[in-house]
Amino acid sequence: MDPLVLGALVAVVTVIVLFSGVSVAVGLLIVSAGFLLVFEGAASFELLPEIFFGKLDNFALLSIPMFIIMGAAISSTRAGADLYEALERWMTRVPGGLVVSNLGACALFSAMSGSSPATCAAIGKMGIPEMRKRGYPDGVAAGSIAAGGTLGILIPPSVTMIVYGIATETSIGRLFLAGVVPGLLLVALFMAWSIFSTWRQGGAHTALGAGHYSWTEKVEVLPRVVPFLLIIIGVLYALYGGIATPSETAAVGALMCVLAAVLIYRLFRFDALWAVLRDSTRESVMILFIIGAAGVFAFMLSSLFVTQAIAEWIAELEVNRWVLMGAINVFLLVAGFFLPPVAVILMAAPILFPIIVSAGFDPYWFAVVLTINMEIGLITPPVGLNLYVINGIAPDIPLKTILRGSMPFVVCMVLAIVILSVFPALATWLPDYLMGPVR
Amino acid sequence: MMAENNPSIGQRCEQLLVRSARGISTICGVIAALMILVSVVITCQMIWMRFVLNESTIWQTEAVTYLMISATLIGLPYVQLLRGHVNVDLVPMLLPPRWRKALALLVLALSIAVISIMAYYGYELFHIAWQRNWRSESVWGVSLWIPYLALPLGLGLFVLQMVADLIASWRCDAEVLAHGEYEEDY
Repeated sequence: MDPLVLGALVAVVTVIVLFSGVSVAVGLLIVSAGFLLVFEGAASFELLPEIFFGKLDNFALLSIPMFIIMGAAISSTRAGADLYEALERWMTRVPGGLVVSNLGACALFSAMSGSSPATCAAIGKMGIPEMRKRGYPDGVAAGSIAAGGTLGILIPPSVTMIVYGIATETSIGRLFLAGVVPGLLLVALFMAWSIFSTWRQGGAHTALGAGHYSWTEKVEVLPRVVPFLLIIIGVLYALYGGIATPSETAAVGALMCVLAAVLIYRLFRFDALWAVLRDSTRESVMILFIIGAAGVFAFMLSSLFVTQAIAEWIAELEVNRWVLMGAINVFLLVAGFFLPPVAVILMAAPILFPIIVSAGFDPYWFAVVLTINMEIGLITPPVGLNLYVINGIAPDIPLKTILRGSMPFVVCMVLAIVILSVFPALATWLPDYLMGPVR
Repeated sequence: MMAENNPSIGQRCEQLLVRSARGISTICGVIAALMILVSVVITCQMIWMRFVLNESTIWQTEAVTYLMISATLIGLPYVQLLRGHVNVDLVPMLLPPRWRKALALLVLALSIAVISIMAYYGYELFHIAWQRNWRSESVWGVSLWIPYLALPLGLGLFVLQMVADLIASWRCDAEVLAHGEYEEDY
């Protein structure tokens, strides 16, 4: 069979299998085993465990459980609420102070926890009722938190970026830095929309901050929030400064975050610490299993010559590189609607990465564009996890309102992708400036 | 689970299997969590050795990598028990309940088949590494059967947990499959 036709067949079968409710990792293994059985014979099964093991046999992957522990330790404490309060108190005089501080808290907390749903829950629990009380429209209150939560996979440290770095053999430190400016760009766009939308719906007075806090109140919350921020900054500094590898810095960061959680929030109870470790284990096992299974899937694609055929086919098409990028974006967007970011990256990277590079796109810039596409998937149905989290913490806002409130933020994200396409330096400048140009 | 007063021997066996699978999977979870914890400690120790004591490290990088792989494999049954493996249940949501159950059972049966194959060849790999005394290529040169052992063990117990799920969902309604019946307890 022609490898291209075979590739289309693999794609169709993969979609059907993954939508059947099977876990993503096992689904990838089922598809791989099925195609290998039909086209290569049962003898090729012999190699599967070795490929699975080999894919995971990489010290850099250790950074995934480490960063997850870091996030879980922070998420298990009241750090989210404290961060929210700190920003609320400091931002009160800024126009639209409340929604601005909510988005700021989302950006910071999602960076610290690295988890989108955890951010929505932690900040939204306090932020949404407060915003509604002060007259912000329901859609803006819910949408801003849903969108703010997605920043976690773009703003470093981000597990999604680590997975991209490992799948494409690009520098994780550089990827982290590439996410910073686009992350701030997104925050700015989100803030602008929230303020504009509140003002347009007649909430001009709410758009301006109302509360007033004394300096004591402002300073009081800082000691609980600043240590975590310092740890994150320290980890990132050690990472891009080349002092240690991502796994090493993340391990130290994980230990320090757990210690900080214990000391600052008196997390002395054994069951609380076990909960952190258990949740991290669950999350890490889930992601690492997908990585191993995606390795088997990539092996299947390449031994049936599908990967090579698709790359050749696209090269022969000789389309304009921006048409190509547009098509890739649509593909990623659709994939992100249904699949978790890690799975999309792992399945798409072996096929897309050579195409991207040969079309002259910067791999770090592409990582950012890809990640923003994945962020959109987090706030769009059918699997937009953040929408359901918001629905859980604010049950009296109908899912339809949450969805409608999130849509303008999706537009902001698409706009960010366009801006990044016009000014790619937004993503590449910071890593180039701090780490020197890519050799 | 079964509400009848006098469960038959077959049903008792099933219950026993479901319960023991649950117990074993929980133990697996604890072991996997401890492995991850140990790898945090070892990594920090390695950094201490290298940056503070200025000594070279021999075994740490490899040990933590193998610990992480083993934690992943041994953790599989526990994550299955918690329904922590991410999935997309788009088709099941569109189906009427009866078909949903049939699809769920089919999916589980296929999963069991594929993971069993992986477990079997994982055992072969472990066995060859054991017989031929394969060692890793690093200075440390650890015997490779030790990390390879996690393949048949973790995948095998993963199959056991899925078989227990298959029995439980065969008996109960399909909701158990989607949302897990143990989730609340943990």
